[in-house]
Amino acid sequence: MNSLMIKALAFAAVLIIATLVVVKQMNIDLSDPINMITMLGAVAIAALTFGVSAKYVNQMKTDRAEGELTEENWDGIGEYKNELPGGWAYSFLGVLIWAMWYFIAGYPVNAFSQIGMWNEEVKAYNTKFEETHKNADEATLQQMGESVFLVQCAPCHGETGDGLSGKAQDFGSRMSKEQVLYAIQNGSNQLGYPMGAMPPMMAQGADAEAIAEYVAGGMKGEQPAAFAVCSSCHGADGQGNSGMAPNLAVYDEAVVSHTLEHGKKGQIGKMPSFKTMLTPVQQKALAVYIQSLSAN
Amino acid sequence: MFHWLEKNPFLFSVGVFLVIAFAGLVEILPNFAEASRPVVGLKPYTVLELAGKEVYKKDHCIACHSQLIRPFKAETDRYGQYSLSGEYAYDRPFLWGSKRTGPDLHRVGNYRTTDWHENHMWDPKSVVPQSIMPAYQHMFTNIADIDTAYAEALTVKTVFDTPYDTPNGVKLGTLDEAKAAALEEAKAIAADMKNQDVKDAVANGQIPEIVAIIAYLNRLK
Repeated sequence: MNSLMIKALAFAAVLIIATLVVVKQMNIDLSDPINMITMLGAVAIAALTFGVSAKYVNQMKTDRAEGELTEENWDGIGEYKNELPGGWAYSFLGVLIWAMWYFIAGYPVNAFSQIGMWNEEVKAYNTKFEETHKNADEATLQQMGESVFLVQCAPCHGETGDGLSGKAQDFGSRMSKEQVLYAIQNGSNQLGYPMGAMPPMMAQGADAEAIAEYVAGGMKGEQPAAFAVCSSCHGADGQGNSGMAPNLAVYDEAVVSHTLEHGKKGQIGKMPSFKTMLTPVQQKALAVYIQSLSAN
Repeated sequence: MFHWLEKNPFLFSVGVFLVIAFAGLVEILPNFAEASRPVVGLKPYTVLELAGKEVYKKDHCIACHSQLIRPFKAETDRYGQYSLSGEYAYDRPFLWGSKRTGPDLHRVGNYRTTDWHENHMWDPKSVVPQSIMPAYQHMFTNIADIDTAYAEALTVKTVFDTPYDTPNGVKLGTLDEAKAAALEEAKAIAADMKNQDVKDAVANGQIPEIVAIIAYLNRLK
């Protein structure tokens, strides 16, 4: 054993002892496996660092190259005919094979794509969303509807759904008198109901007034005789003949989803289509929430 | 064979640079060209829309609003489909922006309307109570610069071959034709607005900035 090895071992011993002293001083609980592993790791690092450095420094001082020289040399610099070290040669071959796989399959198949990540994220979320809210109860829908409303609807209809003093539809009631009159005078063919277009001027003068009064009043009280012309499509109760025509009494799911899909240009102004913005569950939730606005 | 090259290190360096640069360009350029092609159905801006874009730049909307929807679910839920580079093919310059004090506007035309913009520009708080956006009432009186917008369109048509005056495309024509077309477009927008001064100005053949910027915002889809 030469002096270099002795010095290295001495350094390692000092570090190991220092580690043990610290452990002792700080009252570290060695029954905790994490502490034990950490301490053993520190000891191992000290021993390995000095052991390995000593080995190679020693080798540099004493080692001599051996083997048969090749015939050619360049300005006196020659080359040995030694075999490649086994470990190196096998890892080199291994890397070659891996590189071929990576070039042909590894990278092209697994390359990062931001759009791919978005697709996966959205798909995973939608599946989970559908699963979770397949049979959502009223309270969940109400809550979901409110949050959808605040993001997508509130900028025009106001946070409370009051239509911001006439800038958009007021969800406090189904239709105002002016809106009913406007629809009667201009007809309507926007929402894509199975019943199709409503022709203009189905009722006039006092009849139209009476109908507007009645519908705007929430379809309460005695039905005016003129309403018969409406009931052929909208139903005698104005509920829209189970989805054939718009419901005039309340915001049912059909009114909300048809308006979201097609948008609407009416007496107040124009509402754009929100066709791709909301999922069916969200539309249903929105209908529940909007209904609750007019219920109070 | 290439011994002479090794004897000229500077020339050799230049040669190596050229070879590597060429290989890089061959990899990169086709991808660039492919991605920056206009998406199917994209039309160049009309003169009125360009005038609105000038207002957008002049009043520096870009300081608070971006025009780029990133492919994150949170963004596509709120703003719609993520943006594609081909959608900016006729934007010179594009107005992506880098800060969102207000919301993204790249598809604002899908979910806001003329009358909403009118209310909002006049008094943002009247529609969004917590809004910190300032009012832009001067847009209702300032007159939009249609001549500059026409010059811009003519420039990109001439220099970059932007497809104006193609069949079924956007017609540019002469300055007078373009001005008449812009006025027609402005009349359609003013018809949806409530401000009487704006309506009067358009009826008199003038186009206030608010009309131009609404045309531009409605176009962002």
